[in-house]
Amino acid sequence: MKIVVAYKWAPNPQDATVGADGAVDWSRAKPGISEYDPVAVELARTLADTNGGEVIGLTVGTTGVAAPLARKAALSRRLDRAVIVADDALEGAGTTEVAAVLAAAVRHIGDVDLVITGDSSVDVGSRMMTPVLAGQLGWPAVAAVSAVTGTAASLRVERAVGGGSELLGISGPAVLAAATDAVVPRLPGMKDILVAAKKPVVTLTLADLAVPAAGGTVTVRATSRPDLKTRKGQMIDTTDPNAAAAELVSALRGDGLQL
Amino acid sequence: MTVTTWIVVAGNPAVGSLISIARSLGGEVRAAVVGPRAVAETVAAGGVDRVSWFGEPGDRPVEAYATAVAEAVAAAPGVLLSADCAGDRVLLGAAAARLQAPALTGASAVSVEGDGVLVTRSLFGGIAAQTVAVTGPVALVLDGGPVPTAVGSAPIEEVAATPLPMTIVATTPAATEQIDLSAATRVVGIGRGLKAKADLDLISVLAGAAAAEVGCSRPLAEGLEWLGKDRYIGVSGENIAPELYFAIGISGQLQHMVGVREATTIVAINSDPNAPVFTDADYGLVGDLYQIVPALIEALK
Repeated sequence: MKIVVAYKWAPNPQDATVGADGAVDWSRAKPGISEYDPVAVELARTLADTNGGEVIGLTVGTTGVAAPLARKAALSRRLDRAVIVADDALEGAGTTEVAAVLAAAVRHIGDVDLVITGDSSVDVGSRMMTPVLAGQLGWPAVAAVSAVTGTAASLRVERAVGGGSELLGISGPAVLAAATDAVVPRLPGMKDILVAAKKPVVTLTLADLAVPAAGGTVTVRATSRPDLKTRKGQMIDTTDPNAAAAELVSALRGDGLQL
Repeated sequence: MTVTTWIVVAGNPAVGSLISIARSLGGEVRAAVVGPRAVAETVAAGGVDRVSWFGEPGDRPVEAYATAVAEAVAAAPGVLLSADCAGDRVLLGAAAARLQAPALTGASAVSVEGDGVLVTRSLFGGIAAQTVAVTGPVALVLDGGPVPTAVGSAPIEEVAATPLPMTIVATTPAATEQIDLSAATRVVGIGRGLKAKADLDLISVLAGAAAAEVGCSRPLAEGLEWLGKDRYIGVSGENIAPELYFAIGISGQLQHMVGVREATTIVAINSDPNAPVFTDADYGLVGDLYQIVPALIEALK
């Protein structure tokens, strides 16, 4: 069984700074494996080990995603090998374009039974990459997956639905997005980090793949800071908690709240 | 340019806001509806011009119709809208891929400009916003809004669809009733400042005293699982606009605060005087929540 885990090497927006004009400065933000991707690796590993198979890491981005630190971070997870599409022409690429490249890489790998992704990426967080990737491949897509069992031809996929769950039968290949809490991934240990250096990596550029053209253009016209309401910022002295509570309730009632 | 706008529906007719936006763009408003016929009828009555319905799903999940929806939409490409729910995103994603159209989320404004469309949207979990000009088809994920009221009766065309090989084998209902936090007029939000799950009792008492519901920041719903995901407020959780929001033991990161940006009044309680939450609050109390919350409960009696 061949399972591809599509992962992302990206910085956390918490570490970015935003200028008054809305320009995002990533210079102090260090990229890492996107926070939910290790969950996908664990789901893939469990299924591959049950069925006998391999887990192949796949990522797409600018040349930074092929850098030694990025490769080591990915391969110290329980992948067998990795395929990395690194091309600076992908700078600023949106979801649909990246999905097209991922799909081309999946076809390039060949005979893939299943693609598993994290719930969403740490930086964009749109939860659209997985559906668009499935669309690029023409395969079934399911999100919020808490468990996957069965064989390539007959998958059993459990997914969360409004507090409960559904068990789906899917004839593969398919694309699944792991629920954020499907499993608690183990942190890589010394042994995992040492073994990482020995795992095979294939690096590709866009020239190695057949990627369809975009359906149009996207041009940025303006950027801005988000529109958060200006708040009163009234601080209440808390030396005496009871007095503070009384003052707060009084202020809220003064604002018209029926408390 | 007259644009064709498609509303992609995955079993849930709560797409009232999408219909309003579609109408505001001028041009024809079409709906691609997956789900029982009753859903197609609600949408058909809700102010669209035409409905394409893919038949009774039976034991098929909505996702089985992704390819069929993509083909139907590709016959008349334009602006594609869907609600921000799992099934809707799958159907929309298939259509976006089919058209190689950008898939954008967090849009707050959409308008037609010349031969294209202008979209204003938030980025990177809400830390910034941008306006983009798009030529060619575009897919947008937005808050679907309410179920539309009946204002018309568009024709429903049943489309023969070959579903993808997926079936629903079994269903397990929710163990607890799911709450709609966006319907609460007051919410008490709790974050990582809470030391133990048992301390949620204290927060519940405060919520009761304030006639409020309980919500939380992401770590409590996801990592710790002290509360269900229906109570998580933030960029990929609930977006609420109560008259009063308490942020207790919540640091105030943008990814959480964007979920309460429309709240009328925000009260922050945090032991860290430098917590970012205080810049986004109307009232701020620096201190130990284990002292302030009991005092607040008393003051509200």
